[in-house]
Amino acid sequence: MRKFLFFGFLLLIANLTFAQTKKITGKVITVDDGSSLPGATIQVLGTNNYAQSNADGNYSIDVPAGATTLKFSSIGFLSKEVAIGSLSKIDVSLEIDENILQEVVISTGYGPQRKDRFAGAATILGTEVTNNRPVGSFTHTLQGRAPGVLVNSGSGQPGANASITIRGIKSIAGAGTQPLYIIDGVPVDPATFHSLNPNDFESMTILKDANAAALYGARGGVGVVVITTKQGKVGETNYTARYQTGFTAPPDFSRLNLMSSAELLAYEERVGLATATTTAMPGWTWSRKNPANTKKTETELQQFDKNIDELRNRNTPLSDYFFRTGKSNTYELNASGGNEKLRFFASGSVFDQQGIDKTSSLTRYTGRYNLMNNNNKLTIQWNNLISYSERQDAVGDLYGNSAINPFQMIYRAKPYDNPYRADGSLNFGGGSTNLALKQVANTLESNLSSRDRNKQMKLNSGLTLAYDIYDGLTLRNVFGIDAANTLRETYIDPGTYRGSLQQPGASGYAREANFISAQLINTTGLTYTKTLSPQHSFNTGAYFEVIRGYNKGMGFILYNLNPALLNTGQGALDLPSNNATTYPQRASSARSGFGIRSYFFTGEYTFDNKITVNANIRRDGTSRIMNEANREITTWSAGAVWNVMRENFMENQNVLSTARLRFTIGKVPNIGSIGTTSYGVNGFNVTNYAGTQLPAFGTTSYTGSTLPGLAPSAPGNPNLKIETVQKTNLGVDLYFLKDRARLNVDLYKENTLDLFVRQPLSATTAFASLDINAGKMSNKGVEVLFEYDILSRKNLNVGINFNHAININTIEDLGLVEEYFLGTFVIRKGLPYGSHYTYSYLGADPETGKPTYETANGSTTTDYSQAGQFAKFGTYLPKHIGGFGLNVDYKGFYVMANFSYQFDVVRSNNVRNWITDGTVGYTSAVNQSRELIDNQWEKPGDQKWFASPKYAKNFTSSDLEDAKFLRFRTLNIGYNLPAIRFKGKTTFKGASIYANLENLAIWSPWRGVDPEDNNNISLVEYPNPKAVVFGIDLKF
Amino acid sequence: MYKKIYKLILVCASFVSFSSCEELLNVKETDFIAGETALRTVKNNESLIIGAYSLLGPEMSMRLNMVLSDEVKAGEFYNAQSTHQWQFNYDDVGIRDNYTATTGHYPIIDRANRVLVALPTALDESTADVDLRKRIMGEALFLRAYAHFELFRYYSGNYDVNGLAMPYMETPSLETHARINMGEYFQKLLKDLNEAKTLLPDNLSDKSRANKLAATGLQARVALYMRNWADAITYSTEYITALPLSPRDQFAGLWSDNNSNETAFKLPRTSRFGSFFRPLFTKNAQGVIQLPGQISWLPSEKLWNSYDATDIRFSTYLVDEPLFKAADRPSKITKKYAGTAYATDRENMADMKVFRTAEMYLIRAEARAENNAIAESVSDLNALRAARISPYTSVSITSKDQLITEIIQERFKELAFEGHRFWDLKRRGLPVQRLASDAPSADGTTLPANNFRFVLPIPQPEMLANPKMVQNPGYAN
Repeated sequence: MRKFLFFGFLLLIANLTFAQTKKITGKVITVDDGSSLPGATIQVLGTNNYAQSNADGNYSIDVPAGATTLKFSSIGFLSKEVAIGSLSKIDVSLEIDENILQEVVISTGYGPQRKDRFAGAATILGTEVTNNRPVGSFTHTLQGRAPGVLVNSGSGQPGANASITIRGIKSIAGAGTQPLYIIDGVPVDPATFHSLNPNDFESMTILKDANAAALYGARGGVGVVVITTKQGKVGETNYTARYQTGFTAPPDFSRLNLMSSAELLAYEERVGLATATTTAMPGWTWSRKNPANTKKTETELQQFDKNIDELRNRNTPLSDYFFRTGKSNTYELNASGGNEKLRFFASGSVFDQQGIDKTSSLTRYTGRYNLMNNNNKLTIQWNNLISYSERQDAVGDLYGNSAINPFQMIYRAKPYDNPYRADGSLNFGGGSTNLALKQVANTLESNLSSRDRNKQMKLNSGLTLAYDIYDGLTLRNVFGIDAANTLRETYIDPGTYRGSLQQPGASGYAREANFISAQLINTTGLTYTKTLSPQHSFNTGAYFEVIRGYNKGMGFILYNLNPALLNTGQGALDLPSNNATTYPQRASSARSGFGIRSYFFTGEYTFDNKITVNANIRRDGTSRIMNEANREITTWSAGAVWNVMRENFMENQNVLSTARLRFTIGKVPNIGSIGTTSYGVNGFNVTNYAGTQLPAFGTTSYTGSTLPGLAPSAPGNPNLKIETVQKTNLGVDLYFLKDRARLNVDLYKENTLDLFVRQPLSATTAFASLDINAGKMSNKGVEVLFEYDILSRKNLNVGINFNHAININTIEDLGLVEEYFLGTFVIRKGLPYGSHYTYSYLGADPETGKPTYETANGSTTTDYSQAGQFAKFGTYLPKHIGGFGLNVDYKGFYVMANFSYQFDVVRSNNVRNWITDGTVGYTSAVNQSRELIDNQWEKPGDQKWFASPKYAKNFTSSDLEDAKFLRFRTLNIGYNLPAIRFKGKTTFKGASIYANLENLAIWSPWRGVDPEDNNNISLVEYPNPKAVVFGIDLKF
Repeated sequence: MYKKIYKLILVCASFVSFSSCEELLNVKETDFIAGETALRTVKNNESLIIGAYSLLGPEMSMRLNMVLSDEVKAGEFYNAQSTHQWQFNYDDVGIRDNYTATTGHYPIIDRANRVLVALPTALDESTADVDLRKRIMGEALFLRAYAHFELFRYYSGNYDVNGLAMPYMETPSLETHARINMGEYFQKLLKDLNEAKTLLPDNLSDKSRANKLAATGLQARVALYMRNWADAITYSTEYITALPLSPRDQFAGLWSDNNSNETAFKLPRTSRFGSFFRPLFTKNAQGVIQLPGQISWLPSEKLWNSYDATDIRFSTYLVDEPLFKAADRPSKITKKYAGTAYATDRENMADMKVFRTAEMYLIRAEARAENNAIAESVSDLNALRAARISPYTSVSITSKDQLITEIIQERFKELAFEGHRFWDLKRRGLPVQRLASDAPSADGTTLPANNFRFVLPIPQPEMLANPKMVQNPGYAN
């Protein structure tokens, strides 16, 4: 391996030419923000001597005696001529050519790339997307912004991540794999995103195809998100103070269309009459029509009437009890500036947001310090984030699917359940019955007595050293640390009702756990950039990279807490032994880790800025693959971009201002496809990278022995290979009207090979199935991005943007397997991943009121066991996603509105299954939908959808609903004040005041709170909030 | 200038060296009980053998032999039409849910095989581990033979060197395997048993784990199925010599687990096998016994009527329960696995007796009869009867056919509900012949002799997962 590196080095050296008279070095930067400008052409005027600035903007050129002037040029910038005189070092700053402002630089994480030489498919998002948004995790800001990027939020918990899928699901075993995130060259753990300050982000680049992501090897199999943070600009120090305040509000729960108390009581009577049940339900138990009451006296019956009247007039405002309007505040101060040698950006921020759930919030303190030192040939860049966050996780999420979870009780609780006694105290405790409910009070009491906190210290630091060795040959080393220490504290207070239910001890519960994760990366690269003439330039690179990941978790649980002390494990009392011969361990720990060693080579050649071709190859070896034969993985890609505008035949047309054709092809393995398991550590799960690969054992017992028994729990997979995604991308960029109208279209096809398929195993193996590399999956799609600056005047700018993507996912091959079931899906050749598989419900039988279903051969049956299961209902992954927006800027006033949408998507509405079930069981336990009132079978001849209360319809297509939506995602309104001068002195260099509104409205046929989710089933979810914040940014 | 470069390279190199290259590819999961770590010591292997015992469930065979034969009749709740009335095909849900013997037995074999692979290199942690290693090896071989023999009884026809047996698994494997013929299958099985016998402890101090006598018991049973009368006589004699028949007055205690007479190997249980026949009795707040819910299976009248009143087996195995009678419910119920008194902790709980001396007497009697040692055979039959019936007058039988019929009838009575009847009829080429009053319907009266349903179908998932698997005759696939 080291030999390899040395060989590459020799190759590069061989290209060097010597023997000139004078050498001039220097650096090319941009006037705008002082950032390095790579790829600029430097020409000795009157000669054929050319050079090109490297990734850090540095150049070196040989100047023959007698030469007088150097010319600096770069696409997108105004060229500049500088007299040489006696100088040996010339630094220049080039001004952006406003006419071709869009020719920005793409950040691939391994050095910037000029867009006109970038063959891949990438979307760049700027500060307007990520900055000043009232969300704890920046992942939410991506929705509707980048074509082909599906962003779905599954929780409104402040700080929770949205799930991101780029160009479709690429794996069955690794379906939920998230993209690789890189900040300034250092990978960052998604579990810590809530500890980052998105205001520090300068840009976010989503790399979608093989060519763009190939440099990341197997880690980039499902795409890469490259984030760059802000850097100081040459000039005086600028300070910005930011303040933001506002609120988050609960969504519209009336979308559930639940019964009022009066309606539910009437419905209970209907159910009682239909089923003659003895189950207690106030509307039935106290009904005069209940045969059980025929022997009651009139006095008793009048008391019953009174009881019902009392309930009928009470409609408990559940939303007000469980949810709130949360406050949101952020404060930030940042400073940036510097000189030619040293530039810096520093920021400090506080983000404080209450969740709409009363037990949840996120408070975050962040500090960032980015430093850039240019010292002749040596460039040092040191970017650091240090932060601390406290996240209070919703108690509901702690309790999950249970009757004390507010997210469930919002539809489960009866509207006539009164949590308060006459004296105003909470009526909680055991013995809740349908005639004397305590469920809402128990939920509130559990909210008050429980808490679940997550305290995180986060460090992300990258140190880059770049040394310009000789004439375009640069040695560059990036060393990065991404580390976090997370403390989880879960307490149920002793001395409370909820605490009294904790066994053993009946006096509270304390769980404290600590999790440390760290990832170290070191990338050493040797790059060589050379411009042979204005027509020919190339650059090559050889890199060596090592990554080491560490995880360690430990946690314990205490019971029988001391009631004198709250929210601590301190002072816990002894536990009863109950004469047991063994004592359970209530503490646990686990560690795991992985290593990756990679080397890769890149090469790029540009002809006349017209055609650029590139190719790269990478070899990764990783400890995450146990099978030594398949441990080393090769990734490669090649790409070409043709700037059609540079062709002669384009000279006489004035329709197009930019025309580019891009093509890339490559193979990217997907490390996320290899299943992992985890060690439970009382509060955390520590990833076990070998979990699915080695034969594993669990424990069991045999009555005939006191010894612990071992039981093989997983077969291991001795032949495991990584899944590989073959990706092809064809892109066209067509800009019109001097680039004011911009159209990007990308067509792609991705084939996942060696797809893990659940192969059933012979009984002789002692296991039921094994995921083997036997299948193939494809994603085909098209992405369109259109932006149009309709008006671009001094005082008025109006722009619109629109993006749309279609992704068609198909399971192409399953090897020897025909099909198999995975959760609620069927995995079947020819169908997309996530295809729902269930019974087809056809409504109530008009004669009997029984639920009717379609049989396998198309006839109708009322017998559930005869009903067929079908895969014709669609998938939970949308085929169409997109967004559109409008930006208006008039004399400093601006409005930016953005919408996102998804369609051709079907999700399983499990809530609806519960609230439209209508039977005795569900009616007595869960509030029911108003739909039952008019659309349920009551007597022979009724043509209704819902069956008689006598019959359960079970899980069927009736619960599958179209989950398409159009969401008014963000609205930003603001005013940018000009500089304020007072007595000739500048007091403020500028200011802006604004209001940012998040998630304003949603339009959807979905009959639930929110059609959007990160999974296929809706049951117990923290609803996504609406947010409104007002802010001010002061620059001075 | 050059000094600077060297410095820089030095700095870079030091970053690289924070972890050497090869080490990065070999970062181990240190906390994972898997692969080689899991079975590192002899004691680890013992734990896996315990795991193999935990899967041992003669209950399945017992239910199958009852439901498919003439030992039981449907009670108050009946939903076993496809099995009880022999209507099953390869994809029958009743067979799938209750009698999938492949997934019931191959995991036992797999655990034994893993031990047999890992044990030779496992670490001794104390001197006692030397003996322990021998014992575990013996247990693994015994369990492998036992489970394979069960698979034979489910999925193969009567012993025939050229008939199809199941795959005989001698090593853990994720590959598919084909069925082999019985000649080879039984060669392997007997080899395992012989070897096990040399390793297993030659004492009965722990009857819940296999011992030498258990291996002898299995040898006798296997020999009976192989129609190797000489071996059957040898091994049953060996067993009988070591463990005599239970005295009559202790016979009931054998079934309430107050003693473990006759038993070389039994599986202690906290599960309630008796609930297969009827649910639990309960006590109300006043402490009055309440009747259980619906009875699933009643003893057949054929069995009920087969006993003399003086037969201890009748009162031990069966009871005419007055509480049911009073409630006008079926009252002639099974008692054999009723455990302790109604509405007590161990009601319906009983340890599973894998081998009993009575079975050995019957094996020997049958083998002797087949070997034309009629008198000795009759004497075995008389010895067993005398231990159960009092007063008993010895019978004398001279016809071989009549003797064998008597022996099979005695097996019916002695080994009722113990998982033998259906396979005895299969083995002897006899039909299942129910009384009209025991049959759920006319088509549930007779399963003709040698009908293909005496051999169970290979389960559908196995057929789908294993292209080398061959379905048994008669089952449409």
